[in-house]
Amino acid sequence: MTAKTENPVSEKGLYRYHDVIGLLSAAGPGFSGPVSVVTGPDGNLWVANRANPNQPEAVRITRCTKDGDFIEHFGEWGEEPGQFIWVTCIAFSPQGELYLTDENTHRITVFDGENNFSRCFGSYGSGPGQFDRPSGITFAPDGNLYVVDTLNHRVQVLTQGGEFISQWGSQGGGEGQLNMPWGIAIDSSGDVYITDWRNDRVQKFDASGKFLMGFGSSGDGDGAFNRPNGIAVDSDGDIYVCDWMNDRVQIFDQSGGVKDVLIGHSGMSKWGRTFLDANPEIEHKLALAEQNIAIKERFYRPVSVHVDDDGKVFVADCYRHRVQIYQKL
Amino acid sequence: MPGSDKPLLAHLLRRAGFGATFQELERYSQLGYEATVDQLLHPEDQPSIEEDVLERYYIDWKESRNIEGALTESVYRMNAYAGGRPLQEKIALFWHQVFATGLAKVLHEKTMLNQIDLFRQHGLGSFRDLLLHLAKDPAMIFWLDNNFNHKDAPNENWGRELLELFSMGVGMDGQENYTEDDVKNAARAFTGWTIDDDNVASIPFGKTPWLFRYVPEDHDEDEKTFMSQTGNFNGEDIIDIVVQQPATARFLSRHLYNFFVADEPQVPAWQHTPPGDPEAVKILEDEYFRSGYDIRSMLNVLFKSDFFKSDQARFAKVKSPAEVVVGTLHLLGDFKFPKRGIFEVALGCRYMGQDLLNPPSVEGWHTGEEWIDSGSLVERVNFVADQVSDIQQPGVRSMVETLLDRTAELDPITVIDGCLELLGHVRLHDKNKDHLAGEIRSMLEQRGGLVAGSPEDRQLAEKTVLHTMKMIGSSREYQFC
Repeated sequence: MTAKTENPVSEKGLYRYHDVIGLLSAAGPGFSGPVSVVTGPDGNLWVANRANPNQPEAVRITRCTKDGDFIEHFGEWGEEPGQFIWVTCIAFSPQGELYLTDENTHRITVFDGENNFSRCFGSYGSGPGQFDRPSGITFAPDGNLYVVDTLNHRVQVLTQGGEFISQWGSQGGGEGQLNMPWGIAIDSSGDVYITDWRNDRVQKFDASGKFLMGFGSSGDGDGAFNRPNGIAVDSDGDIYVCDWMNDRVQIFDQSGGVKDVLIGHSGMSKWGRTFLDANPEIEHKLALAEQNIAIKERFYRPVSVHVDDDGKVFVADCYRHRVQIYQKL
Repeated sequence: MPGSDKPLLAHLLRRAGFGATFQELERYSQLGYEATVDQLLHPEDQPSIEEDVLERYYIDWKESRNIEGALTESVYRMNAYAGGRPLQEKIALFWHQVFATGLAKVLHEKTMLNQIDLFRQHGLGSFRDLLLHLAKDPAMIFWLDNNFNHKDAPNENWGRELLELFSMGVGMDGQENYTEDDVKNAARAFTGWTIDDDNVASIPFGKTPWLFRYVPEDHDEDEKTFMSQTGNFNGEDIIDIVVQQPATARFLSRHLYNFFVADEPQVPAWQHTPPGDPEAVKILEDEYFRSGYDIRSMLNVLFKSDFFKSDQARFAKVKSPAEVVVGTLHLLGDFKFPKRGIFEVALGCRYMGQDLLNPPSVEGWHTGEEWIDSGSLVERVNFVADQVSDIQQPGVRSMVETLLDRTAELDPITVIDGCLELLGHVRLHDKNKDHLAGEIRSMLEQRGGLVAGSPEDRQLAEKTVLHTMKMIGSSREYQFC
C-alpha cells in the first residue's frame, strides 16, 4: 500500500489518489492491456487482459486483492468454447457467474464461481441474440443481461441464458441512435447509460430503451469527449466516464454537469516495486528520463472504470498495464 | 487530360503506390494523368484513416511491444492508405530503405514507428528539413550511436553514415566525395545531439517515448573544417553544407530513379558505375537545385517525364516484398476494417526477405533481382496465388463478377485479357499467354464450353476465372512492377 495522507487530489478536490495495482506481465502478478475491472462476489478485484495477438498467453482474467496481492489468473486464448480472443468486458451476474464479451468470436462466455467454463452463447450476425463485436455488458436489478452490440449499433437485452428479450438503437447521431457504442452502466433504479463512442456522448435510457437524456460533444473541454468508453454509476448517482482519447475520467452529476475530472497520479505499485528492487539499473534509467516523469503518472487510454461500495474508484489504465485507484472524499 | 490510358495510370500507381484496383483506375482515368500525379503528390489533401477505430480494435498497437506488432501495424497502414494516400506510404517505404534503421538494435517499437511517421510527414518536403528531422530522430540517434558522441569522446558513426549512405555517397564518377577529416568534423558538429532516455524496458508500466535532447555543455564549440568550409559548426550547419553539394543531388536523384523508375546496381557500386540513364538522373539533379531541394518537385518531374512513362520503364522493376504483400491486399480489398489475421499476412514480408523495421544493416536491403531467390520466390508465388483465387475476398469477387457480367460467352483469350486488365493491366509474355490459353481451353472443353448464364454455368465460369487469376498471380511477370 502506497496510500498516504499527502496523496494528490483531483481537480475539484472530490477524490484523492489512493493506490495503484499493476505491472506489465503476461502471467502471474501483473496485467497486459487491462480493459475491464470489476469487484467480484469475493470482494476482490477481477481484471480482464486484452494483451496482444503476438502474446496469446497474456490474454487472461487476473484476480487480486484491492491491496494489490495477486491471487490467481485463468482463461485461455482461442476460439473453442470456454476460450476467448478479444476480451472487451467482464461482469458478474447476481448469482456470481462471470460473463465475458469477446469481440472476435462475437459471443458471450460464462464461467461459474470456480472459474470453470459454464456455457457460451451468441454468434456473428444482426438477428436477435446475434452480435457484431459485442463490448460492454452489465446486469439490471431484475437480473437481465444488457449487451452493447457495437457494430450493430444497438443494445440487446437477454436472459442470463442468452435468450433474446428486446433491443433498441440504430446507427446514427439522433436521439436514441448510436454509433459504435462501447460501455454500459445501469443505476439502482434500472436506468441505462451508454457511451455512444463515435458520437462522443453519453445517452441515458430507461430499462425498455426509451431515451431519457444525453450529454457530451466532441472535444477536450469540460464535459466534452474524445471517444468515451468505460462508464460507471456510483450509489450517489454520480456518473463516471472514461474519456478515452483525452486520457482522463470525467465525473458528472445526474443532469450531466461536470463535477470533477481524474487525470491519473500513479505512483509505483507493489508488484512494480518488487521488480525494480531486483533491477535497480532500470529504476536508474527511469529516473533519468525527466521529460517522461509526468507522462508516467497520467492515465494512458483509460478503458474501464468501476466504483465499489466503499467509494473507491478503480480505473483500468490500459496502456500503462495498471489499475489506478482513487477514493471518493 | 481526362480519359488517359489506363495501362499508363496502372504503371504510375504501381510505382507511386501499391497498384490500383480497376475501380480506382476508372476514377483516375476520368481525372487524367497529370491531375492524378498532382493528387498523389499531395496526400495530405486526402482523408486520413480512422485512427480511433484502428486503436479500438488493435488495442495494443498504440504502444507496440514487439517487432511483430510494429511490423503488423506498418503493413496495415500501408494497405489502409493504398487507396487514398498511396504516395505517402510509398515515400515512407522509400526513406525507410534509404535511412535504414532497425529494431534489432533500437528495441523500442514505438520509437521506430515514430521514425516512419516522420517519413510520412516530411518525406515529400525539403530534403534539408528531412535530414534535420532525421538527425534529431531518437531511433536514428540510438541506431548510429550519436548518444555516445560526446565533446571529449566523439563517435563518428552518425557523421559517417550521414555522408556515406544518407546524402552524398562515397563517390561519383570515380571520385571520392569527402575525406576522413570531413567525417570527423561532421561528427564533432553533432556532439550533444542526444536522447534523454534510452530505456527499452517495458516493465513496470510499459515503455515511454524516447525524446531528442540537445545538451549544449556536451557540444564541441571549437572551429571545424568541413567540405572546405571553416567555422564553429553545429549539426544544422553541416546539413546546410551537405545539401548544397552536387554529390547530394546525384545521390538522391539516383535513389529516386532506382526506387521509382528502374532498378540500378546496388548502392556500394555507385561510385564507379554510372547511372543507367544519366540524362534522366541529370534532369532530377537539376530539379533538386531549382526547387531548393524539394522532393515533391523532383517526383513531379519524374512522374511526368518521358523516361518514366516510356514502355521501357514498365514492368522493369522487381517488386519488393512489401509491394507484393500490400499490393495484393489492396487488390483484394482486405483489411479495410480492423480484424484478426493481419499479423499472419504481414509476416509474408519477412518470409519474402524484407523484415520491415528490421533491415539487415544501415545499408538497407539489396533490391532488384537480389529480392529473388528460390525460397523467397516460392513464398511470393504461394502468397499471391492463394490470395487472388479466394472468392471470399471482396476485391476478387468484384473482379470475377465484373468480368462475367460483361462477357456473354467465355473463350480463353477473353478470360485471360479480362483478368490481366482487372488485376492492374498486367502483361504476360506471348509464350506464357499461349500456354495459359491452352490450359483454359482444355478446362472449357471439359465442361462443354461454358456460357455464363445459368447458376451452374456461372459457378463453373467463376472457377475458370479464379484459376486464371491464380495462374497470372503465379507468373514470373506478376513479380514485376
